[in-house]
Amino acid sequence: MIIEIWTKERYAKNEEAAFLARLARAGLKADAARLSRLYRVEADFSEAEYSRIKSGLLTDKITELSSLAPRKTALKKAYRVEVWLKDSVTDVVGESVKEAVAHVVGRLPEAVRFGRAYYVSCASGLKLKEAVSKTLVNEVVNKFKIGKTKTGR
Amino acid sequence: MKPKAIILRGTGTNCDIETFNSFKYVGAEPELVHINQLLSGEKQVLDYSIMAFPGGFSYGDDISAGKIYAVKMGRLSADFGKFIKDKRPVIGICNGFQILVKTGFLPENKANAQVSTLYTNDCGHFVAKWIKVRINKKSPCLFTKGLPDEIELPIAHGEGKFIIEDKKILSDLLAGELHAMTYSENPNGSMRGIAGITNPAGTCFGLMPHPERNFYAWQNPDRPAAAREALAAGCQFFKNAVDYVK
Amino acid sequence: MTDLLSNFTSLSKKQLAELDGTCGWSLSALELAEVQRQFRGMGRQPSRGELETIAQTWSEHCKHKTFSGPVAFRAGGRVKKYKNLFKETIVRATRKLNKKWCLSVFTDNAGIVQFGKSGKWGLAFKAETHNHPCAVEPYGGAETGVGGVIRDILGVGLGAKPVLNTDSFCFGYPDSKKKLPGNSHPPERIMRGVVEGVRDYGNRMGIPTAAGGIYFDDGYLLNPLVYVGCAGLIPVEKIAKKVMPGDLIVSIGGRTGRDGIHGATFSSANIEEDTSASAVQIGHAINEKKTLDVLMRARDLGLYNAVTDCGAGGFSSAIGELGSQTGARVRLENAQLKDSLIEPWEIWVSESQERMILSVPKARLAGLEAILKAESCDYCVLGTFPGNGRLLVTHGAAKVVDLPMAFLHGGVPNFEKPARRRKVKISAKKPARPAKSYGRILKAMLAHPNVCSRHSVINQYDHEVQGGTVIKPMQGKYGDGPGDAAVIWPQAATLDLSDFSGFAVSHGFNPAAGKLDPYQMALHSVDEAVRNLLCVGAEISRTAILDNFCAASPRDPEVMGDLVLAAEGCHDAAMAYGAPFISGKDSFYNQAKDAGGNEYPIPISLLISATAPVEDIRKAITMNFKEAGSSVYLAGVSRGGMGGSVYNDMAACGNNFISPLDMKAAVRLYTGVLKAIKSGCVPAAHDVSQGGLAVTLAEMAFSGGFGAEIDLCDAKREDGLTPLELLFGESPARLVLEVVPGKEHEFLKLVRGLPVSKIGCVRDSLVLEVRDAGARLFREDLSQLKKSWKRELI
Repeated sequence: MIIEIWTKERYAKNEEAAFLARLARAGLKADAARLSRLYRVEADFSEAEYSRIKSGLLTDKITELSSLAPRKTALKKAYRVEVWLKDSVTDVVGESVKEAVAHVVGRLPEAVRFGRAYYVSCASGLKLKEAVSKTLVNEVVNKFKIGKTKTGR
Repeated sequence: MKPKAIILRGTGTNCDIETFNSFKYVGAEPELVHINQLLSGEKQVLDYSIMAFPGGFSYGDDISAGKIYAVKMGRLSADFGKFIKDKRPVIGICNGFQILVKTGFLPENKANAQVSTLYTNDCGHFVAKWIKVRINKKSPCLFTKGLPDEIELPIAHGEGKFIIEDKKILSDLLAGELHAMTYSENPNGSMRGIAGITNPAGTCFGLMPHPERNFYAWQNPDRPAAAREALAAGCQFFKNAVDYVK
Repeated sequence: MTDLLSNFTSLSKKQLAELDGTCGWSLSALELAEVQRQFRGMGRQPSRGELETIAQTWSEHCKHKTFSGPVAFRAGGRVKKYKNLFKETIVRATRKLNKKWCLSVFTDNAGIVQFGKSGKWGLAFKAETHNHPCAVEPYGGAETGVGGVIRDILGVGLGAKPVLNTDSFCFGYPDSKKKLPGNSHPPERIMRGVVEGVRDYGNRMGIPTAAGGIYFDDGYLLNPLVYVGCAGLIPVEKIAKKVMPGDLIVSIGGRTGRDGIHGATFSSANIEEDTSASAVQIGHAINEKKTLDVLMRARDLGLYNAVTDCGAGGFSSAIGELGSQTGARVRLENAQLKDSLIEPWEIWVSESQERMILSVPKARLAGLEAILKAESCDYCVLGTFPGNGRLLVTHGAAKVVDLPMAFLHGGVPNFEKPARRRKVKISAKKPARPAKSYGRILKAMLAHPNVCSRHSVINQYDHEVQGGTVIKPMQGKYGDGPGDAAVIWPQAATLDLSDFSGFAVSHGFNPAAGKLDPYQMALHSVDEAVRNLLCVGAEISRTAILDNFCAASPRDPEVMGDLVLAAEGCHDAAMAYGAPFISGKDSFYNQAKDAGGNEYPIPISLLISATAPVEDIRKAITMNFKEAGSSVYLAGVSRGGMGGSVYNDMAACGNNFISPLDMKAAVRLYTGVLKAIKSGCVPAAHDVSQGGLAVTLAEMAFSGGFGAEIDLCDAKREDGLTPLELLFGESPARLVLEVVPGKEHEFLKLVRGLPVSKIGCVRDSLVLEVRDAGARLFREDLSQLKKSWKRELI
């Protein structure tokens, strides 16, 4: 199960601006961006248990929203970039979340991996890929994929 | 008799010893206690008269600052609740403030729910520097009694942007003068420049800046020759707690 | 490959080299032949685990073959032979100085000197580099570098409590126009990654990162340097450690995984396109913090007899080192693992982070386990130290290693390396007159990447956790003035609030000088480090220093020549300043192929880290002007030569001479100045270094919020010095002092006979005006100067 968490839009301006600036330094002028955190929880939990982990542990209910399904953004012509650490690399955040999950549902999941998703409105997917590998990921430790998103909420 | 102060630790707590030293200096009998010792029943919070949540990165601040520690405290919330209800002094500094907010002990509310947050700084990363803060003289906060209008303290946090969504809760907080401390120049984007808040009784206080790092005058980055021997503003926070329980 | 392994003793040279390449051992032909000879003697084939153990133990990283090996140095027709370069230069100075306050030198994971007045404490200090990993994965490389040097401090004696982290970086210029090869990161990205790694690891560990520096030169474009240091306090009675036969081998902290294969041999190899991913790790600071918390409690309760860190070589090095006298019996099936795919020999050599090995008496295990559980710290009992001198490692029924310890720690074959002096054209002619005004040059210089403010980096480090950073990296009226040295009051280690003993830490670093004259570079670097300590009022007669050399390939005789000259400089400077080296480290092969396929070596880079006691931390001083009406003095003689200066990086002036340092005169001068500082006459001192005197004056002024009126007519100087050299030359052994008006008489008595002269006054008006015998050199608003200086590097 992948749980996706993101900052409510009214609080997300700074992180989005910083992210766009980062892409710009890598040579990509993007129009807009949305950022999410991803937690891949590997366990045989029920839907209700995943919901409890999502709302009771992973989401800051004041400033964040979350979903058990991939997020839909209102961005037009956007790409979705998903970045994870390679499986061979120790995932420090994943490890602490794994422990914390046990406090919420009473059982340890098999594994938790932490990743990020970026939604980027830009003209060229190829240029985006270039910028992503220049600034967001290091292919020595990361794996990533880029796909198109559908418009709509 | 010296009042017993419990300095709560956990994995990743890292300002525990200087907080311990600060309480010791002002005449308390501090003790470092790991949350595991509370969870196992080896120690009881109600055996102490002062409580401090020191700074650090509890459990790495993975997920969000203070969150995992707050989740761990869940099982003990009755004891913590009673401690606060008894009006025994509680101070949460930096990560400690984040824990008090994530547990819902601050701002105080009937449901004990998280009603505010300390979110990622506007600049997007950790910042350590000295800043000026204003002390709200009308606040019931016992920790800030006797301090001048404006003092200097260092901050060192990545998630210090104080946010309350609910307008009613915010207006109650302001009307009750529970915002005991505000930034002179907002370093992180906090609502109303809020740096620290208290419960209405004035006994439970959380703040982002570090009073234990401006305890002595020689800790100030501007070292005026004249002030070297003196204690600094941060000392007063700890002294007030001890005076209150004596 | 299995074929090659099972016929190891009969392989040809070519086949050995092929096997070495496949396995990534980085052993030389000579070493491979020696291994082959040894196993022929034993009459059997080695196992993979045994060869891996040997490769790790004999690696450059673990054995420092280059620096500790024989060298023949050729200069001007003469040849000087060294049997062991390191011992005959750096160690020799320490032995000759034979300071009583040195408690442990060159033997343990860090050097230890006496701390404080009580006689109860030692101060352990160590610096390391983590260059190659940072080139490949800057964030993870920096994190694990910080983690590694902290473990050196945790693993010195029976464990010291870390109270200070230092970090010094070298990068290519962020705006460098040079084309990079496909596999390298641009310098701006490396810098961000490294800073974030140091931040996220150091801050989580709760250790203040409060001293260091950032240096830019395009020589570091492909090979950034990341020096990380750590200082910690240890009770004197906890310095000795000894494994007792029968003790259990206990690993605490992180788990073991495939992520840590082949770091030690990696550091001996040039960076190539196909650098293996598994050599790079992400750090887990919280695991290391747990380890720290457990160790400090267990140490004070006496629950173990010895400890060391798992660094390069993993279990094989750590257990091999602890068991070098007793032997070790290791059962790898007991190890706690990150993943199940790992081979037994991989468990044995994996360098997974955040692990420490303890030697625990059986009767103490229960006590230790109680603490480990209370702190939620992972651990496993791997075996015992038997006392038979044999290293036997098994995984279930399978044998991984079965060797006598003496074989591993016996003689590594070494061969003499040729070295010769590099040919550099030096011109000492008068520098050309600048085209721009001195004021404009000063502003440009303040904005130069090697001079400008580091606040955007320093602000990201928690430099005050533990409440003991009394002299901070940024100081003065606005909390942003560039400090010369950090002063630490280790209240969080001693818990003694009535003892005001502290210590200062500073650095000296000058690769620009090294390109021209490696010998003078070493002298200048030691001088700068000592002078920085003096600027905060530290007891410089008790200075202890660390050497960290980084160089390109030692197969190049000129690189070896640089090393010989710099090492000789280290010896001479240590003797002159009475400052013994207590620990050091070296890193070679810092070169790579550039986009055109040409070798791209770094310049010889020597980081000197220095520490000295501060008797009363309340009296330590900062660098900013404190009071209008104070007098301003220049201590030291200004000499000619623009070699290695920031000015020469900005504009060619035709002069690249490096003024030789008169060390005896410097020591005399500093001794007098320290007396004046201790008597309370001097509220501010700042060294003259990068950018020269004009930069020093500007920094003191805008950091204090006071202007100054300066006339250099009385400043001691070499005959015929041009104003350019006076303002922007970087000749050593100079500092600027502020002297309190009422104490000028006393001050002058204390510095009588020394080259110290009044050059002006501190003023309320926010202007810095500098004249030379009445002729105005420049007059600038402080706000303009500060604006130029306060750039956002990140």
